This record gives sequence, structure tokens and C-alpha cells, in this order.
Amino acid sequence: MRRRPRSLAPVGLLATVLLVTAACGEPGSADGAAPAPAETTTSDDDGAGDLQACAPVAGDALVVLDDDQGLQTVDNIIPAVNAGATDGDDALLGILDEVSASLDTDILIGLNRAVDVERRTSSEVAAEFLAAEGLDQQDQVGEGRAVVVGAGNFSESATLAELYAGALRAAGYDASTQTIGNRETYLPALLAGELTVVPEYVGTLTEFINDQENGADAESLASSDLDATVEALTGLGEQVGLVFGTPSPAQDQNAFAVTTAFAEEYGVSTLTELAETCGELVLGGPPECPERPFCQPGLEEVYGLDVAEFVSLDPGGPLTKAALQQGEVALGLVFSSDAALATE
Amino acid sequence: MIRSAAGLPARAVEPVANLWFTWRYVENNLGDITTALSQHVTLTVQAVVLALVVALPLAVLAHRRPRLAGPVLGASGVLYTVPALALFAMIYPLLWDPRTTVLIGLVMYALLVLVRNVLVGLQGVDRGVVDAARGTGIGPTRLLLTVELPLAIPSIFAGLRLATVSTVALVTIGIIVGYGGLGQLLYRGFNSQYRAEIATATVLTLLVALVADLLLMALGRALTPWARGGR
Amino acid sequence: MRDDDVLGAAIRWLNDPLVWQGPGGVLARTVEHLGMAGAAVLLAAAVALPLGVWLGHQGRGGAWLIPLTNTSLALPTLALLMIFASSGLGFGNRPTIIALAVFAAPPILANAWTAVREVDRSVREAARGMGMSSARSLARVELPLALPLVAAGLRTAAVQVVASVSLAAFVGGGGLGRFLVDGFGTRRYGQVLAAAVLIALLCVLVEAVLALGQRLLTPVPLRTGRGAVARS
Repeated sequence: MRRRPRSLAPVGLLATVLLVTAACGEPGSADGAAPAPAETTTSDDDGAGDLQACAPVAGDALVVLDDDQGLQTVDNIIPAVNAGATDGDDALLGILDEVSASLDTDILIGLNRAVDVERRTSSEVAAEFLAAEGLDQQDQVGEGRAVVVGAGNFSESATLAELYAGALRAAGYDASTQTIGNRETYLPALLAGELTVVPEYVGTLTEFINDQENGADAESLASSDLDATVEALTGLGEQVGLVFGTPSPAQDQNAFAVTTAFAEEYGVSTLTELAETCGELVLGGPPECPERPFCQPGLEEVYGLDVAEFVSLDPGGPLTKAALQQGEVALGLVFSSDAALATE
Repeated sequence: MIRSAAGLPARAVEPVANLWFTWRYVENNLGDITTALSQHVTLTVQAVVLALVVALPLAVLAHRRPRLAGPVLGASGVLYTVPALALFAMIYPLLWDPRTTVLIGLVMYALLVLVRNVLVGLQGVDRGVVDAARGTGIGPTRLLLTVELPLAIPSIFAGLRLATVSTVALVTIGIIVGYGGLGQLLYRGFNSQYRAEIATATVLTLLVALVADLLLMALGRALTPWARGGR
Repeated sequence: MRDDDVLGAAIRWLNDPLVWQGPGGVLARTVEHLGMAGAAVLLAAAVALPLGVWLGHQGRGGAWLIPLTNTSLALPTLALLMIFASSGLGFGNRPTIIALAVFAAPPILANAWTAVREVDRSVREAARGMGMSSARSLARVELPLALPLVAAGLRTAAVQVVASVSLAAFVGGGGLGRFLVDGFGTRRYGQVLAAAVLIALLCVLVEAVLALGQRLLTPVPLRTGRGAVARS
């Protein structure tokens, strides 16, 4: 039944044009910093030349390397809301804040454990938590207004979205959830009003919008000071049309894991030690990692880490962990609130 | 791989059996399942109906002007080689609406199957029957509506069944824009490695395809009472 | 960043030599893509061809072949991919190859079966009348006559597999789908468009090469200028 193009002429023409012009432009002329992982090999070589290349070491147990130079900033959970949705609706942010306030980092890890380890779905876990906290009893203020809560493509984001949506539903909103890819994909949808709310992370979002609005070279606005970062974020939000709730005490930062076998073999427990011991590392993470300041560029600039190859996987999900365990990547992006990894 | 985390409430994490089928999943997630299922079904129905609405005139045009048949089939054939994943990913940044993106993509794929089958059906109508009908003095429009299209129904329905079944499977690719019906459950299950969620979503997709196929088969038979006499 | 010149970006992307070179470049990914597709089709053919020929020769299996083929149409590739990737096969290219082989098998099986079934009864009887054994009749008479339709099945399967390999990127595999998923994740829609065109071209190219091969396999007297009838 499939594909039997009768006329190949136009395709042939297109193919000819394509292949005649392919690969004859300026190297690096494709948009963005790193069109193909190949390009990242050309990254700086300062003193890394004499370091051993640390091959990945397979192993079941994973350990997070200490972010001893503070690459990660405050990443408390905060609801990002399309500014239009709060016009004439004073109650929306209040309900979201109530949910945020009921969480702390340990609770968040517990929720993640229920989903990723105990085999329950985000919506199940969220509904149970809302009931236990009494958040499923709300004043009926929603009047059936439609609210779409967006989520990123990882379990924690899905659970947080279900928490927000569940509380809003209890308050009489017509709330639904929608999982859309990563920040690169869902933020434009949030700005366009396709999504109403997305659970976000203070520091990461601040730098993301900062980068978009003020250019990649702009001075960073996120820091370890929560109040200052939220203030910067609020200012950026005004520029793009977003408002934010109160940040939750719960935090989840990017973290970088290796197998314990790797950590023992090379004797590293911090990212600084890793950068001093190893050249030419293979890093695994979500597709957007080579562009995110708290991912590959941060590792290279703050720690001087020599990333020889980036393998595109998922945001701290099963692909990244399996790639670490099977020795396909040496270092992988995970989340600090991951129930299977959390150390403190 | 589970390291007990010091500092956390020392709750013994019992390794939960990761079964492929468990009623617990279905019972506890009926709401999500219903939402995904209805999203899946409405997308499929809308896509196939829209595709049929577009395919009928195209096929009639290609039938009336045989010189157009080549380009029409050729263009839709080339379109069909673009992977659904790529098509969805290309439409989304133009529309920023996940639902419309998936819908348009599905319509485009169903279109090829339908145009081809409607055309084959029209071409397969017995010349003698057409000439006899013309002899009674009816115009081309009435000829099409009362003679050619009804006689092409078996072929049209074969196309509809094929298009519907393929569409049901293709909806899942919509996860790339966050609107994949039962595919959303597949993807969520995959991200948290929850086998029961993956398996349940798969079985439901197959069931949707099966039910749609049976319904269309029954409808096709009901619309062609003359065809049944032969057996 | 939203409504950039996607077409221009696509052309710039294709023109950048760095995009084509290296371990993650277009050339390497294309080789990987075709390698995965080839492995899947070979795997499927190794099982489905002998089975289809044997069942067709025996005149058995008609009752379940068609439902099987239809069910394979209804089963989402993505679903099988995720099932295999979550079942201990590991992520990446291996579950993808196996899942795609499962999808490639039905058209190969059905076409091989039909091809052997439809060899003219009288031809078959003539072969037996000349004293050929059943196996010899299959090898010397039925198979050569069945070859064009068998090739059509392989061609259908191959083109379908080349398109579907793109999904490997969802379970951590490689191939050209990587550029789609990564491009979508980093909002490089030029890259997405260019990669989509590349994949479509690859499909058309594979289709054309196989059509030529099928024609060469068809004994001259049987050539009609049109390809043999595949599924549907």
C-alpha cells in the first residue's frame, strides 16, 4: 500500500539542487552554536591536552558529583503563568502558590520516587498528595475557565503539572495538562497563550529568558540568592508577558552523575576533581544541553571540563541513566531531586 | 541502581514488580486513559472525514482529466515518503497549535490512500454501465452521484479502512508536539519505565483500530446491498 | 526566534560542511540510518521469506496471514519500539532494529506467500508431470516465477523501514531521526526541515534503486512496464 511515487522528476531535480549545493558553505554557517556534536570537539584546549581521556565505566550504581564551584543557581519550583490569564483573575496565582507552599525538596523526591520507582503515574500520585494535603478542597472561583497546564518531558514536570491542574480543577477551573517537549518548545506555547501555566525552575528559567531577550553574552542574572533571582525573573517576565507565583521551598537543580565504578576508578567526587583528572569526556543529556548555560557550556566554562563528545538522550530520564550504566557516556545530566540518586 | 539516600526518611523502597499488565494501573488511571482515548478517537475520525472530503473531488478530477492523475498521485506519493515525525515537527512552528498540527499531518497521510482508492474505484466502474446510464440522458453530475460513486463504494471503503487503521497508529507520533492521544500514555510510561502503562496504551490503540475497522466494514456492507447478493 | 526564515536556515544548515562531517554528521548518520534499515529488512527477510515461500508452496496459512498483515498496520511502530526498549533489550539501535524487523516481516511474508500461491496451477502441474519433485518444482519453476512479487514485498518493506528508522531517536538510537528530535528540542526548525527532506529523499532513492533491482529480477517476458502489485 505504501509509497509508489509515479513521477520522480521533481524529486530528482530537488535532490540534484540539494546535493550540488550541500556542504559547500562556510564551516559553522548553520545557525546556533553547535550544529552537530562533531563541532564540540573543537572546544578549547587549555591545559586539557595532557590529561588522560576518561573512558566511561559501566556499573549499576550512580553517584552525583558535587557542584563545588556553584555552577547551578537557585532552582526552586515556581509556576510561570501567561500574563493574559491573570487579567481579571486574582485567584489563579493564589491556588498555584498554595500548591507550591505545600512542597519541599524531600516531598518532591518522595513524589518522584512514587512515580519512577514505585510504578505509579504522575496523575495518581498528584491526586493522592492533593487529597492528603487538603488541597482538593478549594473555593469555587474558577467558573469553568479553561486552563492548560504544560509539562516538560520528564516525570517530575508531569507530576507538578498534575498537582497544579488538580488544585485548579478542585477550584472550579476547566484544567487539563499537556506534555510538550522541553523549554525550547513549551515556552513559546506559554507566551502565545496555548498553555496557561508551566511548572518552572527559578534559576534555569531566568537564564533562559535572559539569553533570549538580552543575547547569549548578557551578564547572568541568576545566582544563589533566591530573592534577587526571583526579582530578576519577574522583570524579565514583564518584558515577555509572563507572571510568576511565589517560589516553592522545593528545589531541583541540574546535577551531573557518573557511575560509582567510574568515581572509584578515577578517584573523583566533585566536578572540579573530574575536570582536573579527565580530558575528553563523553557527556550525555537532553538535546538542548549543548546550548544551556547550566549544562555543557557551564561545565566547560566554569569547570574547564573537556567535553569531547555529547550524546543526545533525555532530561535525566531512563535513556541517560541507562547510557551511564552501560558505559556509553561517562557523565550524564540528572536531577538533584531524582529519587534514585538523591544524596545529601 | 537505587542508592538509599542518607538524610531522607528511611522508607524501605520495596522493588515494585514492573508488570506488563496490571489492573491496578487501569483502575487508578481511568481518567487519564479516557482523556487520551477520546483524544485519539476524535483526532482519527476528524482526520479521516476531512481527508475523504478532500480526496473525493481530487479523485473525481483525476478521473475526469486523466492527464492530472499522474501528477496528483505522484505529488501525494512523494508527500507520503516524508516521515510523520518530520511533518509534525515542520508544521508545528508554523501554527503553534498542537492539535491542528497533528490533524493536518494525519489528513495528509490519509489523503494518499483515499485518493488512490477512490480513483481505482471510479476507474473500475464498468464502461458498459456508464454508457448505458449516459444513454438515458443523465448529465455528468448525476452520473457521478447516482452511478459511478455508488459503484465505487467497495473500493472507497477499502481505502477508508486502510486509511483509518493507519491513522490510528500514526496519531501516536503526535507526542512530538504533545498531542498524541494514547501515544501520550506510551511516552509517559516510557519516561518513567512503567511497563503496564506502555502495554495498556498499546492494546487500546489496537482495539481502537479493530473497532473502527469492523464499523467501517459493516457500514460498507450496509451501503452496498447489491454486492451481498453475489455470495 | 519564532518565525525565522526556516527555509533559509535549512539551506544554511545543508551548506555547512561541519554538519556533514564527523561522527555525528549527516554522512555518518546516513550510513547508520541505512545500516539499521538494512539490518531490520535482512532480519525480517531471513524469517519471513522462507516461511512465506514454504506456506505458499504448501497452500497453508491463508487464514491468518491477512489478519496478521492488517494487525501490523494498526500497531503503532512507536508502541512496539517502546515495548522492546523497556523490556531488557536496552535502549538505542538494537530494539529499533528488532521492532522495525517485526513491521517489515508482514509485507514480505504476505507477498512471498501470494507470489508462490499465484504461480499458475498448470505450470506447477506441468513441472510435476515432468517428474520434478515438489522441492525441485519449487526451486526451479515456482520461485523464479514468484520472484517479481517477492521483490515487490521486499521493496515495500524496505521503504517503510527507511522512513521508520527516524523514530529510533525517541529511544536513544541514532540515524537521521536524531536531527529531527534534536532540531525540535533546540528549535532549529531549519535543521528539522532539512533533515526531513533528507529522510524523504533517502526513501525515494531507496524506492528507485529497489524498483530498478526488481525490474532486473523480473524475467524479460514478464516485464509490463509497471511494477508488480504490492499490498492493497
